[in-house]
Amino acid sequence: MSGIQNLQTFDPFADATKGDDRLPAGTEDYIHIRIQQRNGRKTLTTVQGISADYDKKKLVKAFKKKFACNGTVIEHPEYGEVIQLQGDQRKNICQFLIDIDLAKEEQLKVHGF
Amino acid sequence: MSGDEMIFDPNMTKKKKKKKKPFMLDEDGGDGLAGEEAKEVETKEVEPEGGDDKELDLDEDEGRKKEPSDDLDDLNFFNQKKKKKKPKKVFDNDIEEGIKELKIEGEQTEAMEEDDLDLMLPAKKKKSKKVDFEEGEVLEKDDALEDDEGKNNDGISFSSSTGPAWAGSERDYTYDELLNRVFNIMREKNPDMVAGEKRKFVMKPPQVVRVGTKKTSFVNFTDICKLLHRQPKHLLAFLLAELGTSGSIDGNNQLVIKGRFQQKQIENVLRRYIKEYVTCHTCRSPDTILQKDTRLYFLQCETCHSRCSVASIKTGFQAVTGKRAQLRAKAN
Repeated sequence: MSGIQNLQTFDPFADATKGDDRLPAGTEDYIHIRIQQRNGRKTLTTVQGISADYDKKKLVKAFKKKFACNGTVIEHPEYGEVIQLQGDQRKNICQFLIDIDLAKEEQLKVHGF
Repeated sequence: MSGDEMIFDPNMTKKKKKKKKPFMLDEDGGDGLAGEEAKEVETKEVEPEGGDDKELDLDEDEGRKKEPSDDLDDLNFFNQKKKKKKPKKVFDNDIEEGIKELKIEGEQTEAMEEDDLDLMLPAKKKKSKKVDFEEGEVLEKDDALEDDEGKNNDGISFSSSTGPAWAGSERDYTYDELLNRVFNIMREKNPDMVAGEKRKFVMKPPQVVRVGTKKTSFVNFTDICKLLHRQPKHLLAFLLAELGTSGSIDGNNQLVIKGRFQQKQIENVLRRYIKEYVTCHTCRSPDTILQKDTRLYFLQCETCHSRCSVASIKTGFQAVTGKRAQLRAKAN
């Protein structure tokens, strides 16, 4: 019975609908890129609002390698997973997210000075 | 960006003060006018036939078109220099182009006066042109557009020109060309529009002073709030949310913000505030009122009476920047 492919319980299109409505990273809400000052001339960049379809850990890994900075994923009860990077990476992140087609330019909202 | 600027250096501020005064007059406008006049003179010399004026206007438009694209640049804080240069340069080029064209046309028209009117041959291009004329197709067009003959010739001989080029060629007109044409007509019909279109919103620059090493004071904060007709509370919330810090208004009505910020940085944030919460989203007039209605903020324009909701101010995620030990101590 299970040898016949059509009768298997596995539905090959199960995740198709998910793919359909997955416009690049939740079109209606923005990806907020913020900057925070620390001691002296140190800063932090936070990226909030990247859709759950993307693996933040892998993104951070790529960010870290690309921008030569450290970074981490922070779990926040309200805002979900937020990426936090060292230094002012706002421009880099914008560029990167657009380049890999994760977001369009109008979706990115850069805050800070 | 922030890294370098965040260090306070006195030289920077001094430089800025020098820059402060002479700017804010819009160069483009002034130059534009001068250019127009120059052009008018030119055209008068040449005795244009109808088409010439239009062509010039087109050139001008291309220069102008670039101006309104950058909304933020319209809000200028006296000491802003940056982008001004760019549109101007484009404009100059266009003027030159226009003049060049005109000169060539001038030669043509002179030649025309000498020649029989039916022939309309440019003096210089006589030989190459003649062939064209014999082909009949061109002649046909000439018959149809008798009055702007000169332009017609132009379209053929100078294909690179920016005029209403479709008049002379077989190709269809493009959207941009039509758009330009419409704007020309609009401008001709009501000249007031031109002034309205490139309105600039001039504002006092924020006075930003360092307090100690870790705090910044925004001295004329309340003045600016009054100037913008906004509640200090609202602007305060926006500034603090954008800068991702904390701060408060002190006894002298100054805003004291934690962190090191320079005037330029505050200006940027203010500019964003003005764009979002002060200028009307429809007509871009700064004459607006911000009302709160059922938890939402609405921007009511006094000029065009449009009403639209604006985004609420959200701080969003804030990373822990202080000492964690202190936080823990506070919690207990």
